[in-house]
Amino acid sequence: MCGNRILIGLGKSAAVALILAWSLFPIAFVVLSSFKPGRDIFAVPPRFLFDPTVQHYLALATTWGGFFQGLYNSLIITAGATVLAVTVSVMAGYIYSRHRGALMTGSVVFLIVVRLIPPIVVTLPLFPILNWLRLNDTHAALILLYATFFVSLGTLLMRTFIDQVPRELDEAALIDGAGRVKILTGVIVPLVAPGMLAVAVFVVVYAWNEFLFAFIFTATKAKTAPLVISEMIGSIDGVDWGVLFAASTVQLVPVLVFVALMHRYLIAGLTAGATKG
Amino acid sequence: MSTLSRRQTLASMLGGTALLAMARTTKAASKTLNVLSHNVHRTVLTTGAAGDLTDTWRKSNDAEISWTTFDSNPLQDRLFREASLNQTEFDVGYLIDNRPTSQIAKLFEPLGPYQAKAPIEAFEDIAPGLVSAFTVDGNLIAIPVRHATQALFYNEALLEEKGIKTPPTTIEELVDQAKQLTFTSKAGTPVVGMVLASDLAVFPVMFARAFGGDFITKDFRLVPDTGAMEKALGVLKDMFDAGALPRSYATTKNDDQVTWLQQGRAAFTVLPFARFAQVNNKDQSAYPGRIKAVEFPISSALKGQVAMAAVVESWGMVIPANARNKDFSWSYIQAMSSKAVTTGAARNGNGPVRVSTYADPTFAASQPLATLEAQVLSRARPAFPAFPEGVRAQAILLEEVQLAVLGRKPVKDAVAAIRDRVRPLLPS
Repeated sequence: MCGNRILIGLGKSAAVALILAWSLFPIAFVVLSSFKPGRDIFAVPPRFLFDPTVQHYLALATTWGGFFQGLYNSLIITAGATVLAVTVSVMAGYIYSRHRGALMTGSVVFLIVVRLIPPIVVTLPLFPILNWLRLNDTHAALILLYATFFVSLGTLLMRTFIDQVPRELDEAALIDGAGRVKILTGVIVPLVAPGMLAVAVFVVVYAWNEFLFAFIFTATKAKTAPLVISEMIGSIDGVDWGVLFAASTVQLVPVLVFVALMHRYLIAGLTAGATKG
Repeated sequence: MSTLSRRQTLASMLGGTALLAMARTTKAASKTLNVLSHNVHRTVLTTGAAGDLTDTWRKSNDAEISWTTFDSNPLQDRLFREASLNQTEFDVGYLIDNRPTSQIAKLFEPLGPYQAKAPIEAFEDIAPGLVSAFTVDGNLIAIPVRHATQALFYNEALLEEKGIKTPPTTIEELVDQAKQLTFTSKAGTPVVGMVLASDLAVFPVMFARAFGGDFITKDFRLVPDTGAMEKALGVLKDMFDAGALPRSYATTKNDDQVTWLQQGRAAFTVLPFARFAQVNNKDQSAYPGRIKAVEFPISSALKGQVAMAAVVESWGMVIPANARNKDFSWSYIQAMSSKAVTTGAARNGNGPVRVSTYADPTFAASQPLATLEAQVLSRARPAFPAFPEGVRAQAILLEEVQLAVLGRKPVKDAVAAIRDRVRPLLPS
C-alpha cells in the first residue's frame, strides 16, 4: 500500500516533469539561443556550453528599430483591448447574473456561437469595411476586434463571479438609494475584482501574441511586434536566427512577468463555478 | 515574503506605459513613400558594402521611405488586397514574375506612359527576358529590380573530407557524390548529401530540366517529356531512400537549406547565387569561405548538346492603380532602377537585372560568382509562366513530388497525376 503510494507519487511527478519539459523546452531554446553566437545556434551536436553574447540584441536595436515601435503598438493595443473587454464583460455579466428570461438565455447561446467562428472567416470580409471606415492600420481597429472576440468569454466568466455575490447586497444598496451604476461600481466591482483580473489575463495573453488580425489590418502605423517578428523570417534572403530569437525573448518578457504576477487570478478564473457555494 | 498588491501592479503597468509614450520619437519628413516589399528589397537598398542607396533620392525629394515587409506569399496576398481597394496607403509594391495574370495586371498602373515621360536610364540594359515577364497584354506593369537564379552550392570542406576533388559536372555525378557525402563528419555532425526545401517548385523543376524535361513550358505545354519528369522524381526518391535527402524532407523549408549548409549538415543544396555571401558569413557559418557554387549540372546524356536552363525568379516594382501619388511612386522606381543604384544593390547582395552590372569591375571584384551567374542567367527561365491557377498547379506538383519521394506513390503514378490534375487548371 505504502509502496503503491510512492509509485503513484513518482509517476505523477514524472508526468508533471515531462509536461513541464515539453512546454518549457521551446522557450528555453529561444532564450538561450538569443545569447549564443550565430554559428552555434543550430550546431549539431548541440553546444550547451558557449560564450554568451549580446550581439543579437545590439543588432536588433540597430537594424530592426521598427521592432520597438511594434512593441509600443502592441502595448497600446493590448492595454486598450483589455480595458474595453473587461469593462464590457463586467457590465454584461452583471445583467446576465441579475436577470433571467428566454431572451437572456438566447443571447448567451449567441455568445457561445460567436466563439465558435474561426477568426479567418470574418477577417477577409472585414478588410474592405474597415478600410471604408478609415480604421485600417489604426490601433482602434485591433482594439475593437480583440475586445469583440473576448467579450463573450469574459461575460460568461464575470457572470459566474457575480453570481457568487449575494443579491441581498444589491438590495441593501438599493434601499440606501444607490442606482444600478452605483451598485455595479461601488458594490459589485470591488467584490469581483479577481474575476476581472482573470479576464484581463486571458485578453492580455491573446492580444499580445495575436498575429492574424494584425497581419490583415495593419501596415505601418499600428504594426504590432508579432508582425515585425514575422518579417524577420524571410524566404529569400534567409533568417538571422540570433536576432529573431532576441526579438522573441524581448517580446516574451512582458507577458511572462504579467502572467506570473496574476497567476492566482488566472487559476481562479479557470475554476470559477467549479463548485457551487 | 512580500508580494505586489493589485494596486502596485496596476500602477507599475500604467507608469511603464506612460514612460514608453514619452520616450516615443517621431520622424520629421515632409513626405513619406510607403513601400510594400520583401525584407530583402529593403536590405539590398539600405545596408551592405554600398551603403544606403536611397539616400540621394530621399534628400532630393525631402521624403522618407516607410517599409512594410512580408515573406513572399503573404506579401503578394497583401499587395493584391491593397491594390483592390478604392485607395491604398502604399505607393510602390514588389511583384513576383509568376503572378501577373491579365486579371492581376489590371490592379497596377501600366508604366509605358511614365517611361515615355521620365524614362529610366538605359532601359535596354535591363535583361529583356525579365522585362517580358512583366509585360502583360502588351502593357509593362513592373520594372524588374531583382532576380534570383538557382545554382548548386556545395561544402568544399566536406567534399575534401571524403576525398572528392571536384564538384559534379553531371546530375548523375551529383547523385553519386550526394550518396557518398551522407556520413558523419570529423566534427561529429551527421551529414546528408543534399538538402532541398519540399515546399518550392524550383527544385523538382530543376531536376526535370536536368533530364531535358519541364513542368509547364512558356507556351503552356504540361510535362512535355514524361520520361524526363519520371527520371527526375526517380532520382529524388533514390536519394531519399539512400538517406542522401533528410528524413525530414517533407517539412524542410528554404531557411533549413541555408542553416544546414552553414552548419555542415548537408553537402549540397540548390540556392540562388545571391545567397553566396550569407552561406559564407563568418558570424553565422561554421564553414566561412568554404562554401562554393557551380552551375546546376545537366544529365550526362545531354551534356554538350543542350544547355541547362536554371530556374530564375524575378521581382519587379509596381505602382498600384489606386495609389495616391503615382508620379512620386515613379520617381522612386526611376531612381532605384538607375545604373549606379543597380550596381550598388548588387554589391549589397541583390541579383542585378542589368547586363552591364556584370561587367562593372566594382561588382565583379566583390562577387566571385559574377561571371558564372551572368552565364547561367543568359539561359535561365522561370519555373513556370504566370496564369490564374498557377499557385494551385504548383501546390499539386509539390504534393505529388512529395508522395513520390517519400515512397507513398509510385513515380509513374505521381507524374500521371501531375498531368491529370494540372491540365484542367491551364489556360484554355
